[in-house]
Amino acid sequence: MEAVLKNVGRTVELLAVAAHSGVVNEWDEQTVTRAFHWARYCEHIYSRFHGNPVIRGVLEKQLQLTNHSLKEALPEYNAVSFLDLGRCQDLLLLWLLNNSALPVSIMKMLFETKASADSTSSNYEDVRGLCSQIIQCKSACTVLRPLLGVPTVGADAEVQGEMLMERLGSALSQSSDPLRAEDFLSSVLQEFEVAAEHLCPVIAAALLTTTDSAAQTASQDFLLDWLQSRRGTLQHVCTALPSKVLADLAKRHQKFRDAFCKLLKRWASEMEYRVTEGEWVHAATSSAVSFQKMTEHYLALFEACPSLRTEIEDELNARRIADGDFDVRGLSVWGDILLALRK
Amino acid sequence: MTELQVQQTTAHWPNVQEMPFWLEKAIAWGQTDTPHTWKDISLHLKRLRDFLQQLLTEISSVSSTTETLNRLPLLGQLLGRLCWNPHVTAEGASRGLLLQCLLALYSEHPSNAVEGKANQWIQKVLCHLATDEEDGAAVALMKHLAVPTKEYHLNVLKKMVTRIQESIGNSQCSVSSTNKGCSCGSVWAASEACVPLITCPEASPLIGALLQQQMTCIREGLSENFLGALHSAYSRCDLLLDEQAVVSLWYQSLPSLEEAVLNLLASATAAGSTPSKVEEQVSKSLLPKACAQHCSVFLVVNDIFRTVLKQTERNERVKNVFQTFTKCFFMELSRLQPQPSASLKAFFPQSPPSLLIPLFTMPSEMPQESLKNHLMWVSSSLQRLTEEEEDEEDSDSGNIRGNHKVFEAWFLLVQCAYWVQVAVQLLVTSGPEDCGPLLWLLTFYHHPTNRWHHRASQLVQAKAAWDHLYSLFSTVALLAPKPQQPSLAPSLTLNLLVNFATFGQLPQSTSAEITQKVVHQSGLQDEAARVLSSLRLRLNDRGSFANDRVHLRIEELHNTIKKPM
Repeated sequence: MEAVLKNVGRTVELLAVAAHSGVVNEWDEQTVTRAFHWARYCEHIYSRFHGNPVIRGVLEKQLQLTNHSLKEALPEYNAVSFLDLGRCQDLLLLWLLNNSALPVSIMKMLFETKASADSTSSNYEDVRGLCSQIIQCKSACTVLRPLLGVPTVGADAEVQGEMLMERLGSALSQSSDPLRAEDFLSSVLQEFEVAAEHLCPVIAAALLTTTDSAAQTASQDFLLDWLQSRRGTLQHVCTALPSKVLADLAKRHQKFRDAFCKLLKRWASEMEYRVTEGEWVHAATSSAVSFQKMTEHYLALFEACPSLRTEIEDELNARRIADGDFDVRGLSVWGDILLALRK
Repeated sequence: MTELQVQQTTAHWPNVQEMPFWLEKAIAWGQTDTPHTWKDISLHLKRLRDFLQQLLTEISSVSSTTETLNRLPLLGQLLGRLCWNPHVTAEGASRGLLLQCLLALYSEHPSNAVEGKANQWIQKVLCHLATDEEDGAAVALMKHLAVPTKEYHLNVLKKMVTRIQESIGNSQCSVSSTNKGCSCGSVWAASEACVPLITCPEASPLIGALLQQQMTCIREGLSENFLGALHSAYSRCDLLLDEQAVVSLWYQSLPSLEEAVLNLLASATAAGSTPSKVEEQVSKSLLPKACAQHCSVFLVVNDIFRTVLKQTERNERVKNVFQTFTKCFFMELSRLQPQPSASLKAFFPQSPPSLLIPLFTMPSEMPQESLKNHLMWVSSSLQRLTEEEEDEEDSDSGNIRGNHKVFEAWFLLVQCAYWVQVAVQLLVTSGPEDCGPLLWLLTFYHHPTNRWHHRASQLVQAKAAWDHLYSLFSTVALLAPKPQQPSLAPSLTLNLLVNFATFGQLPQSTSAEITQKVVHQSGLQDEAARVLSSLRLRLNDRGSFANDRVHLRIEELHNTIKKPM
């Protein structure tokens, strides 16, 4: 363990040098390759121990010490967190490229491009041409993105959803305490309070991934429970996503179907009829769902789960009757929904 | 000024002229992102690469960045805009040149503020291109989950390729829906967008899927740029496609097909290629498979063969390639169809239909006894054909249609030359009475045209050669008792034999061997020895001791005859 701590500490120092020191000017291809090798080592350490609270703690302590001493030596130093260890190579690359002392020869090596199709990404260890390959990947994604047509959730969200599930799965399996996994999910959400909208497709994609094992099903279940327990997030998800996606989710997960139906009913009951506009409007917030959207949700739901149709229509009808059994528009939201659905 | 002159006068600074053009293009490309933009980009990609290459040469030749920027003030803008265009950066060669241009502008030791700023800008651009620092929420999650940038983008790319492949596979176009607008437009758009990705390994399943998409739509097809770029990459051996995709490429891109055929011919007729090597090359080339799957492909290939054959009638290597190719093709065809003979007419529209099935029946499929009759029939059919055409020519001297039918029949024979090989083999065991048609076939194979009516004389020569060989290799029967009456005295033949062996041109050992075989076969050793002795006596009498060679031969022969077999 001591050796690991020493190595991690040294690598962080290496990162600091890469970021801020003029010594980089003397680096050659061999040095750079070695630096990336150590960065890979840290990534490996992270993936092995991030679920182990004891070792994680020890590593975090070491990082604290190293960060402290580096900060004293280099005032412009940015602390490296435990999370950062997981993407150490990216950090190294970023800081190298931002260092004005980096020699042109190193840049040329990193950005070397082989024009032929020979340059497969199979050799993960190769630093030569690394940046060119990254650019190729990113550009290819941008080129292909418009071809996906109307996405359900989009390829990006799909991949992120898969990775979220993977991390969640390992968090659940590595400790019997479900709180760890909860903490993990909450921390993920917390970071993206601002970008909650971005997260919704990811959660949907995560829930829609095909599960091959009991462990994966357990992860999805966990995510569902977590989602249901947080009204705000659930509501956000149902507002942000297109009807088709929500319908697919309902089809796939009974729990979600129930929660979604309940939510739709709650939304409907909170609606008011505006005579001036001749429309039902959600009283609470202007950014919430519109009458039309709600109808679309219902229609998509019926298409995905045909068995639901009679059940829901009966329920809506019962509520309409309870409201006074009127057939005129504008008096009962339930009646108007039924009208819209039957068109 | 002619184009050449214009090129020469602006040889030093072609870029100064073209820079505004390319900058305008780069700006336009950055403004919209529609299939038509993509089409324009892929249309100009090759020229852009050439331009960037020229730029690179010039930037490298000038030592200071300040001077370069003075000469080419729009350079920074252009490079910057091109860097933000994913269609340019996705393609290997253009990305490489672009990055090299940027790095060539980087000054190792900046001498003034301009160079310092240029350095900063270059590093910023490179950083932005290769990392995700500025990418906001999209990649923030990945950072939080500690997924490396390269792994993430690679996975997204693979996922996109899969999803697009699925949606292409699902898009159908029925002829009746032409009014509603079919989804083939999206296939066209996809092919246009994928032009820069042709050499990207992760995208090759998508490229393959696009190629194999059944293009049933009249209006849309795969983009021309796409097929052209595929052809160039194919020529450079830069393409990663699976077998079926290559077959589809040939089906859709005539230049690629032609190139493949010519390459095969070149390598199969190169010096040092043996028949077994040729067979290996031909079957590995996937061309027979492609021909079996698409009749149109076969017709093109056959046409190329036809043209080549017209120019090189006597080239045996080339003819051998054709024969091997046809054999492989027929094997592939048989794999695809239970009754390949039924469709032969479609594949050989110009050949005489009555000859198709007979020639395409493999010799191995017939019983040994029927082979000769089969060949007799083939030979007489061909003879009739040539006679008909010659009659036509004679009677209608103004008819310049030429020997079309005969040529097609001969072409077919060349492709099915295994029958010619069987004919030659049969000639060994035939007698002088029935070797005629077989000899005709053989002569026709080697001399298809009857210019100046030479065939008659060629046939005579062929028969003479056959006669010679027949005699040579069946000498043993020389003295066998023949049923003919009145029979010839054996000693007449024997006398001839001994004199031939002594004074003939064959080497000593060969003469001895032949003599020995014949004499012992007929059991006339004693008689032969007697003839030899009297010859020796006569020569001695004439006092021709001087001719030792003859003397030695007689001795040798004597020993041979006396030796028990």
